[in-house]
Amino acid sequence: MLSKSQARLFFWVGTVLFSGVFLWLTVDTIAQVPDQTHQQNMSAAVVRGKHIFDKNNCMGCHTIMGEGAYYAPELTKTYERRGEAWLKAFLPDPEAMYPNARRMVKYDFSEQDLDDLIAFFKWVGEMDLNGFPADPPLKALAEPAAASAAGAAGANVLAAAPAVYGQLCSACHQLGGTGNAVGPALDGVGQKYDAAWFNTWLADPQAVRPGTAMPRLPLSDADRDALANYLASLK
Amino acid sequence: MKYESQKVAYWFFAACMLLFSLQLVYGFIMGVAHMGYDTLHPWIPFNTARATHTNLLVVWLLCGFMGAAHYIIPEESGRELHSVKLAYIQLASLLVVGVIAIIGFHLNWWEGRKFLEIPRPLDYLVVVNILLFIYNIGMTVFRGRQFSTTGMVLYMGLVSAALLYLPGMVWFDSQTLDSYFRWWVVHLWVEGVWELIMGSILAFLLIKLTGVDREVIEKWLYVIVGLTFISGILGTGHHYYWIGAPKYWLAVGGFFSALEPLAFLAMALFAVAMYRKSGRSHPNKISLLWTIGCAILSFVGAGFLGFAHTLPQVNLYTHGTLVTAMHGHLAFWGAYAMIVMAIITYALPEMTGRKLWDNAMGHLAFWSSNIGMVSMTAAFAVAGVTQVYLERRMGLDFLQVQQELDVHFLGLVLAATLFTVGIILYIWNFIRFGLPSDEVRLKPLEEEDDERHVYAAQPA
Repeated sequence: MLSKSQARLFFWVGTVLFSGVFLWLTVDTIAQVPDQTHQQNMSAAVVRGKHIFDKNNCMGCHTIMGEGAYYAPELTKTYERRGEAWLKAFLPDPEAMYPNARRMVKYDFSEQDLDDLIAFFKWVGEMDLNGFPADPPLKALAEPAAASAAGAAGANVLAAAPAVYGQLCSACHQLGGTGNAVGPALDGVGQKYDAAWFNTWLADPQAVRPGTAMPRLPLSDADRDALANYLASLK
Repeated sequence: MKYESQKVAYWFFAACMLLFSLQLVYGFIMGVAHMGYDTLHPWIPFNTARATHTNLLVVWLLCGFMGAAHYIIPEESGRELHSVKLAYIQLASLLVVGVIAIIGFHLNWWEGRKFLEIPRPLDYLVVVNILLFIYNIGMTVFRGRQFSTTGMVLYMGLVSAALLYLPGMVWFDSQTLDSYFRWWVVHLWVEGVWELIMGSILAFLLIKLTGVDREVIEKWLYVIVGLTFISGILGTGHHYYWIGAPKYWLAVGGFFSALEPLAFLAMALFAVAMYRKSGRSHPNKISLLWTIGCAILSFVGAGFLGFAHTLPQVNLYTHGTLVTAMHGHLAFWGAYAMIVMAIITYALPEMTGRKLWDNAMGHLAFWSSNIGMVSMTAAFAVAGVTQVYLERRMGLDFLQVQQELDVHFLGLVLAATLFTVGIILYIWNFIRFGLPSDEVRLKPLEEEDDERHVYAAQPA
């Protein structure tokens, strides 16, 4: 039967041995991380972005690389999913984009802060994370055939959309069965309004309809015109 | 109780009760926000509630460990505490730092690094504080008349915990390396050195409550902490799967994490076996209940539920979902909260001389809080698994899925209410004991019928 001194030996040998292996693997990891995370792309903006992320405890609601809290969306692929234009429109006033949904603090980010945060998200999104986050394996099964058919029709309509539509509008509106359902669907919206109306509306939604949940998006004049013409064409 | 200075522990335990109550309040704020009622958002946004909830947990558990050390170490070393005054100063300063940190969390002053949110300037104060504690306990240990395994393992656990706080204070620009070393603190605490602390408190309680030979108990203590380190150190790898670290961590972390439940299983079997061998019927039934309950629930929560989502194939989908919250709640409760509750229920009658150790309120507190926590775990499990399937497997939008989960948070809040009733009863009982009394006879209420086997004291 095991004696106390044998048990003590078991403890010390096990602890020292496995601590040693752990330290060795740590040294190897530190050597490999720069390659795997594309550290050469870690610009000053990325570093500033990381510290803005830390300073405001974004991990207190969100996860990044799957780490953090489970109250708000995973941010590892947010750059890829949302794009720069959307992030820039969303971050200055989160509640405007998601009225009546779970709330996010309205931070006082400067233009530079926004650029830094976006650079940080881009860098994290490009790392090799050994396959995380995984593509949803049941996504194809989850979409019934009818929706795929509508999706195909929708794809034609969407093919004509200006780039900014996919970056901003589809985050809240559905068109041809694609997009989120925060605001009303946009199918056939061109039957109700013309391009001039859309132009005024997009320039300042509150002026047209006070109290609306529609945010005032940071669009260039050219993008706004393109969008207004496109929406008016949806008959 | 053998030494006058052991009474210091009372104030550490009282601080535990206070901080624990506050932790529950913030838990409710988060539960209700998850249900869709985030009315408090302008004043206490979710990230504030979350940081406060987890940091209060860490601080009250540390307070509990410190209280345990102040109670156990003099008895195991055979002398009074080195300095009672220093102990009070240390407790008071710890609380001051804690309160400043929590106020800071409400004013957006923190470092948003999960579990280590305390801002850097306060980190330095924490280090000073912990050094005071380590010094005071260390002087007691090394100037003691005797060295016991239980005392040494406890002290080693506390010193290692203090040392492992340091990697969390290194500044990294890379999110990956930041995360890598953050887990040195968080993982190597809760799945490493804290198990030394827990194991030694458990051993102390079993020696006192069951009367089994110290040699037998301490031998198994070595085996258990040995298993803990063999599995737990490389088990850190399960935090390195998806953070931009090399792929071999999937194999290393997966294999050693799968072994991690062994230490907790050994702990549970050991506690039950010692209870069955028990040659003595100790009148403190409630402490025995918490002790055995701790050993069993730590296996279920930390061991089994941890294992349930630690394999890389599973973790790819469960990582960063409410499944983690399921495991986290029962693990911290079973392993660490319950061991603190156990040592408190053991020490209170010794310190105050009042024998509220087999009363109905105490039993009700145990059952109500435990059934409540197991139900909370079930609610998190249902919400977590649903989230995994809808969001991670079927690809639905995060916020859409969260709306589907609202109802499970109603279940969670109801279970948390039952849990809270248990904790209120426990604290009520705590208050009924009154303050430590000067008239308590200074010898253990139970005699150790075996001879104490201790190593010869080294020269101080």
